[in-house]
Amino acid sequence: MLLTACGSVDEIRSARLEQATEFNQRGQRAFQRGEYQAAATLYEQALQIDVAIENENGIAINTLNLARVNQVLGKTALTQRLLDHLLEDKALRYAPAHLAEAAVQKALLRLQENDTAGATLWADRAAAFCESDCRIVGVIDNVRAGIALRANDADKALQLSERALSANSDVPLERANALRLMASARLMKNEAVAALSLTEEALVIDKSLGLPEKIRQDLLLSAQAHEKLGQAELAAQCRDRAARIAATALK
Amino acid sequence: MKLPNYNQRLLSMETRTKRFMLGAVAVMLLVLAMIAAKQDYFSRSTAIYFFTPNAQGLSKGMAVKFIGFKVGSVKEINMEPNATVRVKVSLDDEYVHLIGQDAKARLVKEALVGESVVEIIPGSQQVRQVSQNSVLEFERGQDASTVVENLAAQLQPILSDIHQITSSGDIQQTLKNLNQASGTFRQTVNEYTQLGANGNKAMEHINSSMETLDKAIPKLVDKADATLDNVQAATADIKKITNDSAGEIPSLVRNANALVQDGQETLGGVKRSWLLNSLFTAPEEQSLPVDGYVAPTQP
Repeated sequence: MLLTACGSVDEIRSARLEQATEFNQRGQRAFQRGEYQAAATLYEQALQIDVAIENENGIAINTLNLARVNQVLGKTALTQRLLDHLLEDKALRYAPAHLAEAAVQKALLRLQENDTAGATLWADRAAAFCESDCRIVGVIDNVRAGIALRANDADKALQLSERALSANSDVPLERANALRLMASARLMKNEAVAALSLTEEALVIDKSLGLPEKIRQDLLLSAQAHEKLGQAELAAQCRDRAARIAATALK
Repeated sequence: MKLPNYNQRLLSMETRTKRFMLGAVAVMLLVLAMIAAKQDYFSRSTAIYFFTPNAQGLSKGMAVKFIGFKVGSVKEINMEPNATVRVKVSLDDEYVHLIGQDAKARLVKEALVGESVVEIIPGSQQVRQVSQNSVLEFERGQDASTVVENLAAQLQPILSDIHQITSSGDIQQTLKNLNQASGTFRQTVNEYTQLGANGNKAMEHINSSMETLDKAIPKLVDKADATLDNVQAATADIKKITNDSAGEIPSLVRNANALVQDGQETLGGVKRSWLLNSLFTAPEEQSLPVDGYVAPTQP
């Protein structure tokens, strides 16, 4: 028995699957370094292999990654097509968690275009895909908070973002997002001091993650808070810092 | 019945023992006879003597030769009461008639590093031959060191003369004068050449250059030829090596590929095995974290 157990091996993974995994991991590393075009190419290669071997999990993952990269690159139309392809696929059945992520991305795209109704619709669909142990509950709350802000509903935004903060205690990216949304809600409510504190907390997290665009957003929120506090010089400094980051054109 | 047989056998054994003993004695006698023959006990000889101030170079049994043939040997070497050495030589009677009373015994070396022998120098044929107890005159022949010493003694005065001649003022003065005369002659020739050659200087330069070129070009061509030959030889070697190994390279590459693949498969197998799969988690495709934030449109 022991010998049998010692000799047993895991499920054999095909060389093609190994290759797709390798492309996927290389894409992840490229994305983390901010090499988005390279990441897009690698995800495409991984997706091509996954389609060829009909690896449903891989197809969903690499389609979502490709959509995300294209969103960062500003190719919203392509992002839309990729997400639609995943959400409207009748032939293959994908995991609900992946469909929930696709729906959230759709909601974010709608929100980016100030389509609050569409964003709400896709946020609701995302929540519907999400099951009990859904790992993007906090993300959905942040999206909804963002929708509430667009609708100038500061209280709802604050409520949702605080819930998102507690839900994303172990996810720094979403935690910083929640803090930023809370700061915006506080600013909307003219609570500049609280907003400044929240943005500073978010700034620390975003700097630790090395996300230029998020750092820039934090600095702009800080500038607004300083302006509301009558600290024009500090506000100017924050804007200047944000402008320097924007000048690098790194996202 | 048995006793007669026993006696008969005993008698037979006794007979055979006697035969054996006789044979052994015969062999011993034969050996002794041969030794005696070797020691000239059966040949008749005549003993003669010579005297020498010392026994240096002489030894008992030393050969005595006459015109290159061995005619006897030294039998005894004894010191006399007057501190001289008496040497007894035994001569074969066969050769005694050839040796006169006035013959001499000379100690010589057969070669530069050979054995010493006593050589009988023949005397006058008219003189009566030696007889028993005759005494011959003795002399020592020159050995190599003596020859060298004599040669050195003869060369010494010659070398001294040469040294005297070369170091004398006359010779030196003569050489100096000759040197001066040679220098003057060279100068005169140079002046003459300069006068006549000024006009042709450019031509000489050209000729000189052309000569240099004529000398240099063949060397360069030779060197170039040699270089090309070397290059050609090297190319041929490379071509040969490439041709020889051409058939092996693809198989080598295939083997290397197979080896790498085998290694990867083995490593993969080890990684997936029950004992180690917890240490090496199989990589899986991962999705990017969803970023739930959209920056508000700037006013």
